Amino acid sequence: MKMENAILIKNGFFFNSRQNKIVPGDIYIENGKVAEIGKDISYAGEDVSVIDASGLTAIPGLIDMHVHLREPGFEDEETIASGARAALKGGVTALAAMPNTNPPADSEQLIKYILTAGSATDCRIYPIACLTKGQEGKEMTEMGILSEAGAAGFSDDGMPVMDGKLMYEIMKYSLQFGKPLILHEEDLYFSGPGLMHEGEFSTRLGLEGIPSLADEVMIARDIMLAEKTGARIHITHLSSSGGVELVRQAKSSGANISCDVTPHHLFFNDSILETFNTNFKVKPPIRSRADQAALMEGLKDGTIDAIASDHAPHLDTEKNTTFKLASFGTTGLETFFAACYTRLVSENGMGIEKLIPLLTEGPAKILGIEKNRIEKGHRACIALVDTDAEFVVKREDFISKSKNSAFLGLKLRGVVRYTISGGKIVYGKK
Amino acid sequence: MLSKKSILSVDDLDTGEIMQVLESADSFMDISRREIKKVPTLRGKTVASLFFEPSTRTRISFEIAAKRLSADIVNFSAQASSLLKGETIMDTLRTILSMQVDLLVIRHRDSGTVKLMDSVVNVPVINAGDGKHQHPTQALLDIYTIKNHFNRLEGLKVALVGDYINSRVARSCQSLFEKMGLEVTIVAPAMLLPEDWSGFKVEHSIDRIIEDTDILYMLRMQFERQDRKLYPSVREYNRYLSLDMKRLSRMKKDSVVMHPGPVNRGIEIYDEIMELAKEKGNNILIDEQVTAGVAVRMALLYLVLGQS
Ligand SMILES: [Zn+2]
Ligand SMILES: [Zn+2]
Repeated sequence: MKMENAILIKNGFFFNSRQNKIVPGDIYIENGKVAEIGKDISYAGEDVSVIDASGLTAIPGLIDMHVHLREPGFEDEETIASGARAALKGGVTALAAMPNTNPPADSEQLIKYILTAGSATDCRIYPIACLTKGQEGKEMTEMGILSEAGAAGFSDDGMPVMDGKLMYEIMKYSLQFGKPLILHEEDLYFSGPGLMHEGEFSTRLGLEGIPSLADEVMIARDIMLAEKTGARIHITHLSSSGGVELVRQAKSSGANISCDVTPHHLFFNDSILETFNTNFKVKPPIRSRADQAALMEGLKDGTIDAIASDHAPHLDTEKNTTFKLASFGTTGLETFFAACYTRLVSENGMGIEKLIPLLTEGPAKILGIEKNRIEKGHRACIALVDTDAEFVVKREDFISKSKNSAFLGLKLRGVVRYTISGGKIVYGKK
Repeated sequence: MLSKKSILSVDDLDTGEIMQVLESADSFMDISRREIKKVPTLRGKTVASLFFEPSTRTRISFEIAAKRLSADIVNFSAQASSLLKGETIMDTLRTILSMQVDLLVIRHRDSGTVKLMDSVVNVPVINAGDGKHQHPTQALLDIYTIKNHFNRLEGLKVALVGDYINSRVARSCQSLFEKMGLEVTIVAPAMLLPEDWSGFKVEHSIDRIIEDTDILYMLRMQFERQDRKLYPSVREYNRYLSLDMKRLSRMKKDSVVMHPGPVNRGIEIYDEIMELAKEKGNNILIDEQVTAGVAVRMALLYLVLGQS
């Protein structure tokens, strides 16, 4: 009998989650699972795909907990299928899909649709449902029905709930279902017509500013509400030093809170806006050098639990325009590992064993979903990366439907050579 | 020949190049005083002026400058609001370029757009004002006016009064004036200043500087163009920031008043002062700024195009 799904990864290293370090070892995968890990495993026969992993490291498939797949509604920017392919190319084998589609994912029907379309891909797709109906910030969604339908969490992402009392009621009710509330923190009165971080550069460039206070007053509010209610909240894409400090304090006083940061907020600071390149127009904005350093510090001291891409695909027509008219967002799936590796490991000397949990166990724990581990009996979701190889990010290399990457033209280190998902080679040379 | 082909920001010019602009503006000033105000310098060259924001003064100034140098100039104006998203701007640009123009003069409502357009064309671009970002030709004509009047620049005290945060003129002048050795004070209340003004010398009321300043530069205050109506009222503005006869009389001998125009009478400057400005021999340089505008723009067109 020919076993389609048997894979032998030879001559490489792998990330051992229990020892929390990179060790040498062969991995044998069968029937979708890791069947054996050891030295010099040999399974002869043409029924086994053998990957020569010399120079490569097997890491658990990455989990990106903040992705915009755009389907339904904006299929010209991305679809569940195209987004999943882009994810796999980036070594991401599980992702959370944000609900700001058209219609927004505020109904049982839509959650089921995303799950069905997601299961047709090789990436595990976890739908996030809206916090409020139509993301209008007026009435909470059917959080019970949506949880039962398969929502992994709740978020209004770019449409923050400005009504504090409503947020308070949502938090109280959410305790009944145990799903995290993923919060994009932005006081819309503070951000107003803002286009970039408010500071020295916004002043010089004449671009309207978004002060750090826009995030921070909302983070402070929601921490107070979470402390009062005991709700499980997750602050997504932290951007400012004040935001990091608020979460740090809340954690030390015992609040049930977690947070993530994006690769682009770690990689850049607002001086890059001098180019007026609209791929750097994101929300929350890329902030100052001091904020960038504070985010790094938050990762190092464990305040920040995860890194998420906030992959936000946009058409050329939405980006190739004036800075004011351009849409907010950068893509991030295909550069996810490389951007993190380059910035944190190569440039900042963080150990890879510290980085990997931020991209795997961290988000899994926040969402309460299956962990990707390279262990006997675990589902085989693995990325094989070459941490010595560098590449230049080029427009023509993207397989996402959208090309609006803040990393275009940069040289990054850390190439994903193969991705294995559910025991199948889903990206890389077969 | 200037070392950079496009002039997008005052920061694109070093002091040497600025002096070069001011010197050639001097000779073009002479031409403008002649009976026949035309030289053949740019004969055969075509300048296209693209205005994506309404403006008569700047557009006409460039038009006269080009014509006095014998260049052909074509004007395209479109309300940015009547254009759809960016593609259309780029389409417009492509259309104009395929007509073989030699230089573009561009104004746009949104900051950074002139730079964006410059990055996709292979002819030089002169920024005629982009959003709240830059208006280099205004700052250059202002420094020319100042130099002409005082015969020096170093150490002069200039106060930029009013809406700093929304003003490309303020940004451009601040930067250029400082580069040329002037002492710049910004006179504005908190909501018209950037969040962090720690690098600036700031006063909140015109009364604090009026007796000490050499150049009182009044910025346009457009109540309707604030992102949010934060400034309480014209009456409040008059109390702290407007120039009236009483304040004018407190200014020191040989000091001057400037304004990039058009003046909102009764807001930045009181009516009676504008009436006074019509008479000869006053210290209100607003008309001189307009005259200098043509000469300075001739100088820029010449330096960018003339020796190629
Ligand atoms: Zn967001
Ligand atoms: Zn998002």
